[in-house]
Amino acid sequence: MKKIYRVFILAAVLTFCAGFALLQYQGQRLERYQAQFFDCFDTVTTITGYAKSQEDFSQKVGLLQEKLMFYHKLYDIYHTYDGMNNIKNINDAAGKEVVKVEPEIIELLKLGRDMYEKTGGEVQIAYGSVLSLWHKYRQEGIEHPDQAELPPQEELNRRAKHTNMEKMILDEKASTVYLSDKEMSLDVGSIGKGYAVSRLAEYAREIGMEHVLISVGGNVCAVGGKADGTPWNVGVENPDSNSSQPYMCSVELENQSIVTSGDYQRYYEVEHVRYCHIIDPDTNMPPDYFSSVSVQTKDSGQADALSTALFNMEYKVGLSLVERLPDVEAMWIGKDGKIRCSSGFKCNEKK
Amino acid sequence: MERMEKSAVPADLNVMKKNDLRLIAALVILAAAAFGGVMLYARLSTKEPEAVVYLEGEEKGRYPLSENITIEIRQENGNCNILQIKDGKADMIEASCPDKVCVRQHPVSRQGESLVCLPNQAVVEIQNGQEAEIDTSTN
Repeated sequence: MKKIYRVFILAAVLTFCAGFALLQYQGQRLERYQAQFFDCFDTVTTITGYAKSQEDFSQKVGLLQEKLMFYHKLYDIYHTYDGMNNIKNINDAAGKEVVKVEPEIIELLKLGRDMYEKTGGEVQIAYGSVLSLWHKYRQEGIEHPDQAELPPQEELNRRAKHTNMEKMILDEKASTVYLSDKEMSLDVGSIGKGYAVSRLAEYAREIGMEHVLISVGGNVCAVGGKADGTPWNVGVENPDSNSSQPYMCSVELENQSIVTSGDYQRYYEVEHVRYCHIIDPDTNMPPDYFSSVSVQTKDSGQADALSTALFNMEYKVGLSLVERLPDVEAMWIGKDGKIRCSSGFKCNEKK
Repeated sequence: MERMEKSAVPADLNVMKKNDLRLIAALVILAAAAFGGVMLYARLSTKEPEAVVYLEGEEKGRYPLSENITIEIRQENGNCNILQIKDGKADMIEASCPDKVCVRQHPVSRQGESLVCLPNQAVVEIQNGQEAEIDTSTN
């Protein structure tokens, strides 16, 4: 009897230890969660990450959403908001007065100026006067496809005279912006989302998220890799929506960003010809070089700006720009579906 | 040393035989029960892949991907999306919105993938799907 007693005690102790270890393991194990919201930058935001519980994840996603909404309002060119001066306030005050703004606007405009210089003017935030005309014609064309028209070339050329970057006057110390040409306006569509995502990734780290994948309308940025230590896999979408293959290839991402500019999602058609939302400052017309260009680099703001710039440039010129810039890689998808990559772009064939 | 072993081994075998059998029987029953429980739990928690339709964030319906079906997602305000489930994939084939971005999206079938029509605030999300190889996409 004594021996069986001992055996039972041993079994009980072992069971207890195993149970305790299991509980510990369960408590620390990170589960994968995903959240989506639709109210920022007129697109879908998807946050994929790991947390101990759904509550923990939701609470952090709530903070991220709040932060992204702040940037959405700051960089809005169509609406103004109480209690803050945004890009629309700056545009409305063009030629009239200096506008006091948040440092997040000054930083964005500095990035815009920097990228304008780096790309030889192929990405242009002071291009609002031309872009707004295209926007108007595109919206009308989408609403009434049978009456779709192109903006008159004459008017485009006239407006293009009011896109001088030097007339955007920044005073960093006073945190003010002034547009000295009353007919000019800013449109930060080519960099705003990317810059906001890079700041959002930083904020995610601050609030203790170590493995997060942020996508704001395909503007993707990875904080760390996945919880198991492997990188995230990001599919580069196939511009041909009728194809059975959704992705052209996949890219591994860890503490990096990838942004794509393409002509296949936002466009309108005039007499069966597609006109996309990206406008080439050289011609004031949508460019016709590629179906899409993806840029992979650390900073999401830079990736966003460069993908637009490369979309506006011939392949050879763009490639030499990419090879000149440190830690920047790019992938071009031609109108014929042909893929071309910069020397360090790692493109995994889709299984 | 040799002597001790000789005397200890047969003694233990004789005394423990019944108890050993009881212990083994108890362990086998316990293991079988645990195994059965785990299997049952796994069976219960493995659900069929399905497309879940949300309107303005509210769940409106669930449709298994195994069944070919066309669903009209009509709203009171007249907005409408048509969802087609075919060959295990969900695809938005028509939308009343002007931009048609959702119609241009590729069909989805993997866990967590979604079709989104922003103007109509309609979302189709895949649940219980096969684990996706791709975590997100850039376009």
